[in-house]
Amino acid sequence: MTAPTTQQSVSHRVPLWRDVIVIKWVTQVFLLVVVLSAMLFLASQAGDNLRARNINTEFDFLHEPVMIQISEGIDTHPDTGARALWSAMVNTLRISGAGIIFATLLGVVVGLARLSDNWLVRRIASMWVEGFRNIPLLVQMIFFFSALTALPRVGLGSGPVNGWLHISNKGISMPRVFIADGFYQWAVVVLIGAVAAHYVRRHRQRIQDETGASTSPILWALATVALFGLVGLFVHPVFSWLGPVFGSIADLFDSLPNTAPQVLFSAVAIGVATIWIRRFLSAHRSARGHLSLSDDDWFRMIFVALASLAVVLLVVRWSGLSAWALNSSRDLFEVLETKFEVDGAARPFDAMRPDIIQKSRFPNYGKNGLTMSIGFASVFFAVVFYTSAFIGENVRGGILAVPKGQTEAAKAVGLKRGQVLRHVVLPQAIRVIMPPTGNQYLNLLKNTSLAIAVGYSDMVQVGTTVFNQTGMTLPVVAIWMLFYLSCSLTISVFVNWFNVRMRLVER
Amino acid sequence: MAGFGIGSEIASVAATATVPITAPPETPKLPPREWVKANLFSSPFNSVLTVVSTAILLTLSWNLLKFIFNPIRQWNASATNLRLLMTRAYPEEQYLRIWVCVAIILTLAGSSMAVWRTGSAMPVTGLGRKLLATGALLVLLVLLAPFSAGATVQWLLAALVVAAVGEALRRTGGRGETERTVSTLTLQVVALAGLVASLWVIPFGHHSYIPKRIPQVMHEPGTVALSTKLPWTIMLVVVVAAYFGGVLLRDRLAENALRVTLVVLWLLAPPVLVYLILRDPDFDMGHVIGTDIPIFLAYAVLGSTLLLWLTRPSTGEIGRIVAALVLLAGFATFLSPMRMVLRLDLLLLATFALAAPTFAGGLRARKRYTGAWLVLLGVMSWLITSINTASTVRVPGGFFIGGLAITLMVAIFTIVLSVPLGIALALARTSTMPIFRLLATWFIEFVRGVPLITILIFFSIMLPLFLPRGMHLGEVAAVIIGFVLFSAAYMAENIRGGLQSVTRGQHEAAEAVGMTTAQKTVFIVLPQALRVAIPPLVGHCIGVFKETSLLAIIGVFDLLYMARYVVPGQTEFMGSARESILFVIPIYWIVCSRMSKASQRIEQRTGLGER
Repeated sequence: MTAPTTQQSVSHRVPLWRDVIVIKWVTQVFLLVVVLSAMLFLASQAGDNLRARNINTEFDFLHEPVMIQISEGIDTHPDTGARALWSAMVNTLRISGAGIIFATLLGVVVGLARLSDNWLVRRIASMWVEGFRNIPLLVQMIFFFSALTALPRVGLGSGPVNGWLHISNKGISMPRVFIADGFYQWAVVVLIGAVAAHYVRRHRQRIQDETGASTSPILWALATVALFGLVGLFVHPVFSWLGPVFGSIADLFDSLPNTAPQVLFSAVAIGVATIWIRRFLSAHRSARGHLSLSDDDWFRMIFVALASLAVVLLVVRWSGLSAWALNSSRDLFEVLETKFEVDGAARPFDAMRPDIIQKSRFPNYGKNGLTMSIGFASVFFAVVFYTSAFIGENVRGGILAVPKGQTEAAKAVGLKRGQVLRHVVLPQAIRVIMPPTGNQYLNLLKNTSLAIAVGYSDMVQVGTTVFNQTGMTLPVVAIWMLFYLSCSLTISVFVNWFNVRMRLVER
Repeated sequence: MAGFGIGSEIASVAATATVPITAPPETPKLPPREWVKANLFSSPFNSVLTVVSTAILLTLSWNLLKFIFNPIRQWNASATNLRLLMTRAYPEEQYLRIWVCVAIILTLAGSSMAVWRTGSAMPVTGLGRKLLATGALLVLLVLLAPFSAGATVQWLLAALVVAAVGEALRRTGGRGETERTVSTLTLQVVALAGLVASLWVIPFGHHSYIPKRIPQVMHEPGTVALSTKLPWTIMLVVVVAAYFGGVLLRDRLAENALRVTLVVLWLLAPPVLVYLILRDPDFDMGHVIGTDIPIFLAYAVLGSTLLLWLTRPSTGEIGRIVAALVLLAGFATFLSPMRMVLRLDLLLLATFALAAPTFAGGLRARKRYTGAWLVLLGVMSWLITSINTASTVRVPGGFFIGGLAITLMVAIFTIVLSVPLGIALALARTSTMPIFRLLATWFIEFVRGVPLITILIFFSIMLPLFLPRGMHLGEVAAVIIGFVLFSAAYMAENIRGGLQSVTRGQHEAAEAVGMTTAQKTVFIVLPQALRVAIPPLVGHCIGVFKETSLLAIIGVFDLLYMARYVVPGQTEFMGSARESILFVIPIYWIVCSRMSKASQRIEQRTGLGER
């Protein structure tokens, strides 16, 4: 970008139709007009067509009763459309969360196996990667589904390990450990333990740094948390006084006027925009304080300012948003209040073995065990195996990217094999591994949408059922897009945060 | 334009192909005993791993073999329904069209292999070692399989023959100076010839499906039907002949011109094959001569004159103003009712007119540019006419092809159409013009944030609502649009990576010799960026091919839909879903793994990793 002085001196000689800035902006405005008019045209066509076919595009169906049966999840017989989509959302998040955890574990194993000294293990791992990576996910999913449905029926006393593990054409059922009423009080004890562990770790680390003796700080920190957890099993009812505290916070949110969050959100939007613009300006100032801005820079600043104003306008005009924020904060604390006001003797955890009940002719799994339905299992295995092949390649690439000299140098100063891995290789490899792996997490989340093919009630499957019944295709598609976009955004924010943190560790 | 960019791109890739790839340093060969000790039992932990994984592998293969060779498996479901799996209900009497398409593709493939000099030399010892390992593996599998004693002996003999041939090759292969090599192309042809020969020799059985009111399934012993083995034999001859034809042409003609011609042919092939050969439009000659050809001729004459004038370097500013006016006229046509062809042709002309100054030059360059316009105009006019013409091929229900054919068709159309869009998005996203950048970024991030299936459902259900009354778009076309938009967003990110790898010096040098921004982008930046982007783009193409399986969810009769619903839904083959899915898995796997191997080879050839 040239300095404004030269631009001015040039522009009075150049005719208007040759001025770069004029051509640039005319082209852009022209494109914008074309895009906007095309979108308006399509929207008006859609509006006409929808009216002609008598299709309603309101979001009313969210509050109206629907006839949907959801295969599994928090609510299998939802009474409204919103409730149906909500429990579908929970199902999607549940399978994505489980998938991400297990795909990471398996991916690390596959990646390490590909680098093993053992020829057979290396070959098996590369067969795993080549096999799962090159078969479409949907084909794998449908294959698992058809293989699982071909399993034998559930019988009273069926196996393979009767009473502990059942595998049948109704799914896989295994013992379940779940959180009971006392869990939240116990969690507070563990939280305090975690804070204590932080100080313990710092203390041990300092001793190690000063004396050079091996003090295993991480082990100590873990032991501290474990100790608190163990003690907490017996003393957790002491925290039942937290219930009324949360109750009064909920009352506080209830009594706040609707303008409070409006003011807060507006202030945040304007504050963020102001800080951004000030930083932008100071970044463009030369050492002598001379400011040179191109037309693009002006555009950026104006755009940020307009965006923050738009946010303010949205918050002020749409009072439902702030009311929703207030109500959900109140609800959160009310839920916490009820979680803490429990009987003193409640256990934090409980466990149950799977059971088989026979209501009609065919027996089925009861509610005691942790049951993976066929749909869940086929989506789960497919996304985990498929993604583990990609993550495995990332792990392998990341470890190979660490120069051999690093390992050799670490061995030369006398570090043990585990120490070399933990302190030298992994911190460097994780920086290479994490960005593409974050992409794989995003892909995994989006890939769970294929669950519609095997009848697992995820967001897309339930959404399709909803719009088939109500004809509200457009609103449902809008909800899908919003949901997946916000999930993707959350994951990428988390991965970026992790990447930045890892980078900071370096220097 | 993108087509030519890729053409020169592939040409430059292949130009470096003759540079020998430095082989990795050879690891010293250990005698078997020590090799086993070093690679399987080097430590107690490794020994445990070896034993455990051997046990797992043996159990798995034993169970898999037991599953495959169980007499209740209905493998003949796939054999009988092969036609359905490949093309759905394409009429049998028109099957010659399918074979002509396959032959055209194989001709192009064979001659391209010759012109681009693919294939490499493989040491005979290496081949021997591979055969020996295959033989040993076969022996193991045969011993595990639940065969009768007679069959076991037969299979064991076959496996031992393979191993013995391998061992013989290994011993006679020579070492160092005396090392003998064999071309991988020869090996591939031998393997294909073996497969074709097996159709004539091995009694796979003759399976036929007689579509009567109550359909009948016939199974006769013997080799496969003549309608299968004869065409494939011809195809083998075609591909070999095309290869030698390519070699002849390569040695007589200018190699670069040949490559450009082949790339243009490859780009023309998909629409020609689908819309001319497979679909066989029933042209209304009166309409074609009375309306379509006059429109084409008018645009051809007017447009060529305009473009010949615009590409003169001396035309100057007035040319740009004329081009902008043509564009405005193109948009203005949407305000009044007229034929869609007129509008689209005018918009195409406006695009060419706007780009004309970039390609301005001597008479040769001007003629070439005008020629490109004529070709593109001709292809577009003909495509629009034939899409709007009814087909003579009568196929009951839905789109006229299905199965593997539609899977390949959707994949190829998506890839070809999303390349130009992807390049445009990538350029817009890296542009200095903020509105372009913003629109491109929003589009790309939006598409990348949502699952493909939601986009496909949206396009297959909702697109008709967004179209003007009277305009009709088939379901497959709507779905392809969804695929193209989705794939272009991902492609744009790959290309953006390539654009960022072009160094600043290249930009500055181009500006220093007086190139305009457009010239700099087309002639300097894009060729280098695309070259870097080719390996990730091939990876993306694999992804597109895999994603075509989503067609099954929205009810298009693709390969997966056929295998999951149609074949197991026939009364004779109830409950054969596992078998037919196991049948299509290798098809998907072979295509994908071949493509990923090809991408690795391109990466090695261009030496991208070493710079």
